[in-house]
Amino acid sequence: MTRVGARLAALGLTLLLVALPAAQAQAGQQVPQAVQEPQQGKKIVRLGVTQAVDSMNPFLAVRLVSSSIHRWMYGYLTVPDSKTLQPSPDLAESWETSDDNLTWTFKIRDAKWSDGKPVTAQDAVWTFNTIMTVDAAKQANGPAVENFESVTAPDDRTLVIKTKKPQASMLENPIPIMPKHVWEGVGDIGAFENDRYPVVSSGPYVVVEHKKDAYVKLKANPTYWRGAPKIDELHVLFYQNPEAANAGLKKGDIDLIGRLNAPQFEALAGDPNIVQWNTPGRRSAYLQLNHGAQTIDNKPVGDGHPALKDPKVRQAIHYAIDKQALVEQVQNGLAVPADGSIVPPMYQEFFWKAEGDDLVTHDAAKANQILDDAGYKKGADGIRTMPDGERKLEMRFSIHTDTPVEDKLAQFLTGWFKDIGIALSTKKLDSNKFTEETGFTGLFDIAISGWSVNPDPEEVLATHLCSRRPTASGEGGGTESFYCDPEYEKLYQQQLSELDRAKRVDLIKQMQRRLYTDAPVIALYYPNNLEGYRKDRIAAITPIPEDKGILYGGSGYWPVYSLQAAALPAGPADGGSGTGLIVGAVVIVVALGAGGFLLARRRRSVADERE
Amino acid sequence: MTVIPDTPPAAEPAAGPAAGPGGERGTGRTVARYALAKIGGAALSIGMVVVATFFLFRLIPGDPAIAYTRDVPLSPEQLDLLRRQMGLDKPLLQQFLDFVWRTLRLDLGTSYEYKRPVTELIAERTGPTLVLVGTGLVIAVSLGLWQGTRAAWRHGSRFDRFSTGLSLVLWSVPTFWLGLLLLMVFAAGVGPIPGIFPTRGMEDIDAPGGPMYLLHVAHHLVLPCLTLVAVVYAQYLLVMRSSLLDEIGQDYVTTARAKGLRDDQVRRRHAVPNALLPTVTLVFIHIGFVVGGAVSVETVYSWPGLGLLFYEAIQGPDFAVMQGTFMVVCTAVIVMNTLADVAYHVLDPRVRSA
Repeated sequence: MTRVGARLAALGLTLLLVALPAAQAQAGQQVPQAVQEPQQGKKIVRLGVTQAVDSMNPFLAVRLVSSSIHRWMYGYLTVPDSKTLQPSPDLAESWETSDDNLTWTFKIRDAKWSDGKPVTAQDAVWTFNTIMTVDAAKQANGPAVENFESVTAPDDRTLVIKTKKPQASMLENPIPIMPKHVWEGVGDIGAFENDRYPVVSSGPYVVVEHKKDAYVKLKANPTYWRGAPKIDELHVLFYQNPEAANAGLKKGDIDLIGRLNAPQFEALAGDPNIVQWNTPGRRSAYLQLNHGAQTIDNKPVGDGHPALKDPKVRQAIHYAIDKQALVEQVQNGLAVPADGSIVPPMYQEFFWKAEGDDLVTHDAAKANQILDDAGYKKGADGIRTMPDGERKLEMRFSIHTDTPVEDKLAQFLTGWFKDIGIALSTKKLDSNKFTEETGFTGLFDIAISGWSVNPDPEEVLATHLCSRRPTASGEGGGTESFYCDPEYEKLYQQQLSELDRAKRVDLIKQMQRRLYTDAPVIALYYPNNLEGYRKDRIAAITPIPEDKGILYGGSGYWPVYSLQAAALPAGPADGGSGTGLIVGAVVIVVALGAGGFLLARRRRSVADERE
Repeated sequence: MTVIPDTPPAAEPAAGPAAGPGGERGTGRTVARYALAKIGGAALSIGMVVVATFFLFRLIPGDPAIAYTRDVPLSPEQLDLLRRQMGLDKPLLQQFLDFVWRTLRLDLGTSYEYKRPVTELIAERTGPTLVLVGTGLVIAVSLGLWQGTRAAWRHGSRFDRFSTGLSLVLWSVPTFWLGLLLLMVFAAGVGPIPGIFPTRGMEDIDAPGGPMYLLHVAHHLVLPCLTLVAVVYAQYLLVMRSSLLDEIGQDYVTTARAKGLRDDQVRRRHAVPNALLPTVTLVFIHIGFVVGGAVSVETVYSWPGLGLLFYEAIQGPDFAVMQGTFMVVCTAVIVMNTLADVAYHVLDPRVRSA
């Protein structure tokens, strides 16, 4: 090597030696003790996630991965039952409501924090009051306490919540109960990262280490009131790249991965150690039709096609779509055609299924008949015009850029729409522009949309309320359809305060029926929930719901709590990487040696030739 | 393909008149004046970057509050609160002035997603990025210069054709694709090839402490670094090759040969030092980009560096983080360019005297 080369190499080495300890120091400040512990025979399960943790502070975290981890480490008032998904006791042993339905009294369980202190009603009072009074604490779960009048604790075992109006969704409260004795002294909650390890919590697991954008390490909580989990540690490993995560599962770097798309799921086929877990999903995919977008003060916005204001046109469009074909061709058969609205059939209790006269099936002739009867005449080019003859039925279909699935969907829709005399052109938008145009500026005709639904569908139903339309100044309010329908509003208000579960379920089904028949949105299919895990590492896991449910992305902690691991051969993760390390080192040394040898030879031969 | 380095123009307005032809006596002062002018220019550029950053990132469509909470149901009140927290409720001019004032105090704002100061996030990510891109750059430069020198010295040979061809192929390969390919083969393992490298990150849970930690990270570093080197080393090779080819034809090389110097000495003492000059600029510029990390490589290998931070911020969009990383990267490039200019001035007398 030339002298310059040698100097550069020396510089490189210096740089490496300077930078590495710096990087290590950063690692070190978060990981005081973790490394010295013995590894042999520990039962560890490693989950791969493709979303980075935004915050470990439950008052701030909004991402799915973060709220999942919080589900595994904290106790809540209630938890969805593992079979029915209905609220069942968690930290609240039992509860009752007053006659006016405004006062809820919870009996708090005799449980312990992971530091040995008792869990009391005071902890719950502190948690709820903090969210109600401190702006910075509202970020994650502000809406959940909006209807709270007061929260008090007459004694350590009794929690009393008074609401302003009756609140049927009280038992789905998504707020983890935090240890008052730890958090009282935190100061600015908006700036606290919840990084005093081990983090004091009362759920099945305790977080002992978190390295941002890399991993979260949880340990079984021996003081957990249901009994400690059957594994020792739960590792959550972050992959930025889903393909790399898939490769990690095949190789055995991780044991379970959720939220796969169809191609990733299919790539796992044929591996004898991997179980492909294909179950009904939480999500519905639907079309959003711009039926005359308006702001909250009823002023029209955007440029939606006027024909879409006509419910008959929307119904005809619904008839034109072959949902079964979409499932087979677009979703590789890994979805269920939508014979309902925005709540997927996974939630058996709340799912409304269209039947009889309501049911819309793929029927182009019927669609054409509806449009003919309504006065939309076909021109020579096969495209219909408005009854007043002014405008052709030429519409845009807004999808996201770089989403092959939506491209494919657009092709099918374009063909079917042509059959009924509507010309459809595809408009691709990046996700921010898409959110803007379909969410508050109304610059679209038809757009693809979708939503994941919680065990209680109230949130997703609320995205079609009048109050969610854009503000008068044009800012988004969170609508999914610009819908504003008196009948729907009335049903929503009724279910809010209907504490009789059966009656409330009925109201919620009526709302879905309204969405289905009035068609501001048209549900296409319910994508399956696709996951995979290694059966040589995971001996048992109970999905939620128990028969054929979700593993990672589900609600509550049942799947991770029920995890059973095959004990690793001596020296787990480390053993594998240790071997790899040695092999890798050997490879590098050999490569360098060969390079050096070639270099020396070449120099000699060059010198020989020239001299 | 030719990579033409951004060599400083021969005549510098600040240096020209004072130094004059052959102005040996004034050299020190000239260099100082030259450096000062350069530093002034750099400061101006950084100022413009600050202004441009603010408006550039405001051009991105969409309401950050809505975009950030996509898929999370929020009430209008909560959205309002979020906008207030983000400072989005103020008039644009006010937001801009706040931004400039904060930037002057080296406060890059607070990340919407992480709810932490951006400077803290950037500081955290700089270590891993320096390890990855720093190592990669050093290897790429050494490899590129060495191969470029050999290729030029024996131009037309099989070695020349092979190394030039290979480096060009690698240079044309999409980084993301190459990274994924290497990951699939050497990390996951294909057929008889065992996966010997990790599939993600810079370190595992329960990484060993002490000196073993270096090995642990080095093990994780191999594939990302290999990807990075493969994709970037071509430019050093080609610049070195073409500038050495220029030198080989020069009279002084013939003179040196005529003096009876060994071939090796002609190359090392005479041709290569002169040919190195354009490469110096290139290296300096790239040190600037080091700070930006290698977005594709860090994304494929989930390497927790600045590139990954930036990539995630774009997906948010997390304005504060995007602005912060963007400004840090721009500043690094400007500073390194300035250093390159000054270094060039010192290294090459021709720039001074022209």
